Amino acid sequence: MPILRGAVTFSRFRVGSGDPSGTDTRRWLVQGLRKKAFAPLDLGCAGEDRSAGFVELERTDATAFGPDLFQGEYALFGYRIDAVRVPAAALRRELEQWAATFRVEKGRAPVRGERTAQREALRDALRQRVVPTTRVHDVSWNLKLRELSIWAASRKAVEEVAAALEEALGADLHPLTPSASAKLGGVPDDALAPTPALMGPGFGAHEVDHEA
Amino acid sequence: MRRERAGTEAAFLRGEVGVDGVATGREERDEAEVERDRAREQFLRGRTWLGREFLTWLLWRSESGDPLAEWESAGVVVLFTGRLVLRGIAGDVTEISARGALVGYAEQVRRALDAGLLVHGARLRLTHGEQVYEVTVDAEFLDVRAARMPEVLKEQEDDRTLERLYLTEQLSGMLDALLAAFIQVRTSASWMQEIVPAMQRWMTRAPRHPA
Repeated sequence: MPILRGAVTFSRFRVGSGDPSGTDTRRWLVQGLRKKAFAPLDLGCAGEDRSAGFVELERTDATAFGPDLFQGEYALFGYRIDAVRVPAAALRRELEQWAATFRVEKGRAPVRGERTAQREALRDALRQRVVPTTRVHDVSWNLKLRELSIWAASRKAVEEVAAALEEALGADLHPLTPSASAKLGGVPDDALAPTPALMGPGFGAHEVDHEA
Repeated sequence: MRRERAGTEAAFLRGEVGVDGVATGREERDEAEVERDRAREQFLRGRTWLGREFLTWLLWRSESGDPLAEWESAGVVVLFTGRLVLRGIAGDVTEISARGALVGYAEQVRRALDAGLLVHGARLRLTHGEQVYEVTVDAEFLDVRAARMPEVLKEQEDDRTLERLYLTEQLSGMLDALLAAFIQVRTSASWMQEIVPAMQRWMTRAPRHPA
C-alpha cells in the first residue's frame, strides 16, 4: 500500500471526461469500481490463470467500496492482479518422467496427441499446487482537481490500470507527459518540434517529419 | 525426398535461398543501424524530445542555484544529484549513464550534451521553502519515481495519509510549475535567439580549475 507507506512512485493523469453532469460523482465512482471489481481466481476453472479488478485500499479482498473509499478530496482504492503460473521447468520435468514411464510400459514413445493431452493434464494438476501471486497497485484520485495517480513502477501495470478505469467509468485519462501538459496549456503542435541545434550535427528535420 | 523438396521451395518463397538452392546471403541488419532505429523510436514516442529538452534546460538553469519557478508563493530551487541518463539519436553514442554526487554539472556531461545527447532521466532535489524533496524523473512520462518527501508530522493514520497525499501533490505541483516555466520559454522567440545559444556556450565552457 504505497499510498500509506513505502516508496513513492506514481504516474500522473488528468481525468478528461466521464462523471456525467447531474450525477452524484461519488455514486458514479462506486458503481464504476463495482462494475470491474476484483473476483478471486477460480483454480478449479482450467482456463482461468489471471484475475484483475478494483479493491478497497486497506482490505484488498473487499470490494464493497463503502465510505472508506473517500478521504477528503480523494478517492483511494487499489487494483489487484492475481495470477497463477505453472513453472515451465516443473512441467517439462514431469512430462519427461511420464514419457519415460510410457516408453517402458508400452514399448514405444508417446505420439504427439498423447503428449499434448498429458501436458494439459499435468498442467492442471500442477496448477492446483501453485500459490497464485498477488499484486496490488494503489490509485489516488483528487476529485476536485481531476488528477489521478497510479502508484506502480511498471509502465505495463500503469497502462493496465488506466485502461481498466477508462472502461469501468467511461472516463478519459490523459497521461501528464511534457507533451500532453503543453497541449493542455494550449500550445499548438507546430511549436513543439525538436530544436535541431540541441540534437547534434547528424540530426535532420526529416527525423520527425511524420510526427511533428 | 518430397519433404526435402517442399522445404527448399518454402525457403525459396521466404527469400532465404535462390533458384539454385544456395542461401541468398541476405545481410543481417547492421547492429549500429538497429541501435539508431531504437534510439529514434524512443525519441519520437510521445514526443519524448520535449521532455529531454526540458530536463536539459533545467540542468543548465539549475547550476545558478536560483529559484527556477514559483509554486505556492515560494521559489523552487533545483539541484541535479545522483544518477543521470543522457540519450541522443545522432552520432555513435545513443546513451550515456553517469553517476556521482553532482555529476550533472561535470565537464564530461556538458561535453556529451554538446555532442547532441540530451538529459533523459535524472535524480532531482527540489527545495521549496524549508522543505526538501528528492525525485527521479524521466523525459518520456515525467513520472514520479522513488521520491523522498519531507517527514509526515501528523499522528492519526487518516491524517497521515492525507498529509502524505498533500506532499505528493506539492511535488507534482512543483514539477508542473517547472515544466510550465520551460514551456513558456520554449515557445517564446528568445528560445532560439538567446536561450539555445546560451546553453550551447555553457556546454562548451572550459572547465573551472581550483585556484
